[in-house]
Amino acid sequence: MDVFLQQLINGLSLGGIYALIALGYTMVYGIIELINFAHGDVYTLGTFFSLAVLTLLGVSGELHGWPLIWISLVTIILAMLLCGLTGVLIERLAYRRLRNAPRLAPLITAIGMSFILENIMQYWKGPSPIPFPQVFPNPSFHAGRIDIAAKQILVVMLAVVMMVALQLFIYNTKLGKAMRATAQDRDAAQLMGININTTIALTFLIGSALAGAAGFVSGVYYGSTWFLNGFSAGLKAFTAAVLGGIGNLAGAMLGGFMIGLIEAMTTQFISDQWSNVVVFVVLVLVLIFRPSGLLGESLPNKV
Amino acid sequence: MISRQRRPAAFAGALAAALGIVLSSTLAVQVPASAATVVKIGVDLPVSGADATNGIPTRNGVILAVEQANAKPMPGGLKFEVSSLDDAVQGVHDPAQGAQNVKTFIADAAVLGMVGPFNSNVAKAEIPLTNDAGLVQISPSNTNTGLTKGDDAKKLRTSHPDVNTYFRVCTTDDRQGAAGATFARKLNLKKAFIIDDNETYGKGLADVFESEFKKQGGSVLGHEHITKGQQDFKALLTKVHSANPDMIFFGGTTASGGGLVRKQMADVGMRDIKYVGGDGISDEEFTKETGDMANNSYYTVAAPETSKLPSAKAFVAAYKKRFNANPGPYSANSYAAAQVIIGAVLKGVKDGNGKTPTRLEVRQNVASTQNLDTPIGKIGFDRNGDTTAPILSFYSIKNGKPQFVNQINLKD
Repeated sequence: MDVFLQQLINGLSLGGIYALIALGYTMVYGIIELINFAHGDVYTLGTFFSLAVLTLLGVSGELHGWPLIWISLVTIILAMLLCGLTGVLIERLAYRRLRNAPRLAPLITAIGMSFILENIMQYWKGPSPIPFPQVFPNPSFHAGRIDIAAKQILVVMLAVVMMVALQLFIYNTKLGKAMRATAQDRDAAQLMGININTTIALTFLIGSALAGAAGFVSGVYYGSTWFLNGFSAGLKAFTAAVLGGIGNLAGAMLGGFMIGLIEAMTTQFISDQWSNVVVFVVLVLVLIFRPSGLLGESLPNKV
Repeated sequence: MISRQRRPAAFAGALAAALGIVLSSTLAVQVPASAATVVKIGVDLPVSGADATNGIPTRNGVILAVEQANAKPMPGGLKFEVSSLDDAVQGVHDPAQGAQNVKTFIADAAVLGMVGPFNSNVAKAEIPLTNDAGLVQISPSNTNTGLTKGDDAKKLRTSHPDVNTYFRVCTTDDRQGAAGATFARKLNLKKAFIIDDNETYGKGLADVFESEFKKQGGSVLGHEHITKGQQDFKALLTKVHSANPDMIFFGGTTASGGGLVRKQMADVGMRDIKYVGGDGISDEEFTKETGDMANNSYYTVAAPETSKLPSAKAFVAAYKKRFNANPGPYSANSYAAAQVIIGAVLKGVKDGNGKTPTRLEVRQNVASTQNLDTPIGKIGFDRNGDTTAPILSFYSIKNGKPQFVNQINLKD
């Protein structure tokens, strides 16, 4: 039982990272129906930006009290900002001109952007894994034989807070309304006076900023990063988005946590090497019975 | 199942591989040669990325051997040249890239022998090619048993089953794994959990360790395989922790997860559990990546500690002078491998009255090498292509630095 609860915590924190990345995938897909393959690499870029900010601030080890709070805040905000801008830049350079092109064209440019980002990161920090400063002291909270690390709570909290904030933003603000309108019918939205380009750029800004936040927490959580991390994490996050129902924010979150949990439980009760197999078997089963994902609705006006 | 290299677009991988060749050939180390006959020695090692801390000192061993050979007058103004290619793709050794490099060597008529590769799974991709072309290859560091022995080895010799072109100057994992088990038992460890990276080398080593550790009275609580590119080992380590072992044996390399596993042990409360591995975690990258978690790690190396070997004194001095650094764990081995090839070529020239020997003649001379004086002792090869002087050494990491424990020559 202890082990089960411990794995629950491991799974939730891993899932929190997937969920943060999945939010970006699902937002972009929801609005322009593009699978932004470069998104996973924007997440890795988030770790690299965080590392750069921490290096700039001269942080190399554990922090406590106020410095911990303000340095974490500064780092995460800068990482989010820089990643957000990268996202906007990617959209401007690689997707905007192809918005009305056949579906395959922006998909290929997305793969191209992914390669470009990976190679920029490899050039920047080299091809070896890079140690990330362990800024968070690691007090574990003990509950019986179960350990919960502060950084695990951070990951889960951040994912939930971001999702709720995003939900509020989309359903309660004018910009959010514009985003929803654009997602529903781009031409009609334009006729109603919504600036499509700005709205789509905003979507990329927010989605990529979330990837930046995920990048920071993953650096803190694992204590190391590598220029190719984004590939497999991005693939899992994309799976999470599809599992939860692509285009649906709560679904992305649910999918992320589910995949994290499936991985942890498979590792515990079957074997580590089977965890990916089980994840994708669950995905296939869900898609057979609910083609639009767990929380996705089949919208008649979309393909 | 999800691999770093397996990209959605297959052509992209091919493109990356092609790019790798272009890059590595421009980076090839060229030892200047005169207009006379030039014999090239191919070197295929991972010299970029996480594996470079192993690959570069190993390549340096070959460069040193070639430079020393060229310093002496040779019949007909013969000169040796090093032709070096990189088998790392995106920072990790890659069998397909290794095979591509070997094809490049085969296509170059001046290449009469090659040193490499560093990693056993790369060797698996290369042996069928060198076997077909009759090009002799000597590995400084491949320890997987199946490369030379038994049915596995026969399957690799696809074109000429009875002609062996693959030799190695290090010992094999059946010995390294067994020595690792003995080492662990000497440290008084009884309950092991085994993790491997599911590669030719890592899984092979871990399997031997498992059976040997049991034979020597230890108990194995579990054996798990990790996936290439995996980053999160917390779930796995939680499982390991709940089994309550007093050591973890890791079969694999630092780049394939050996560093991350060790590092994340701290997160699940296994800071003080001992970590034992093979030569895959013997590189500097391991201590760099794991930081203070490197302590309490132990490993075996299928090569002698050159600083403790009387026969290696001159080599160590020459290496330090030439490269301004201490030799790596496999520098002396690659130096010895190059010596064997150089010796075989020179013997061929002598036997042919000044004519450059063919690849098959060089292979024949390598196979019949006996009692050649090298830094790692007098070496020769048995019928399978394995060294007749298998030496293993043991290390432990204390205060972030590897400490030599002892070494054994299994021939004695």
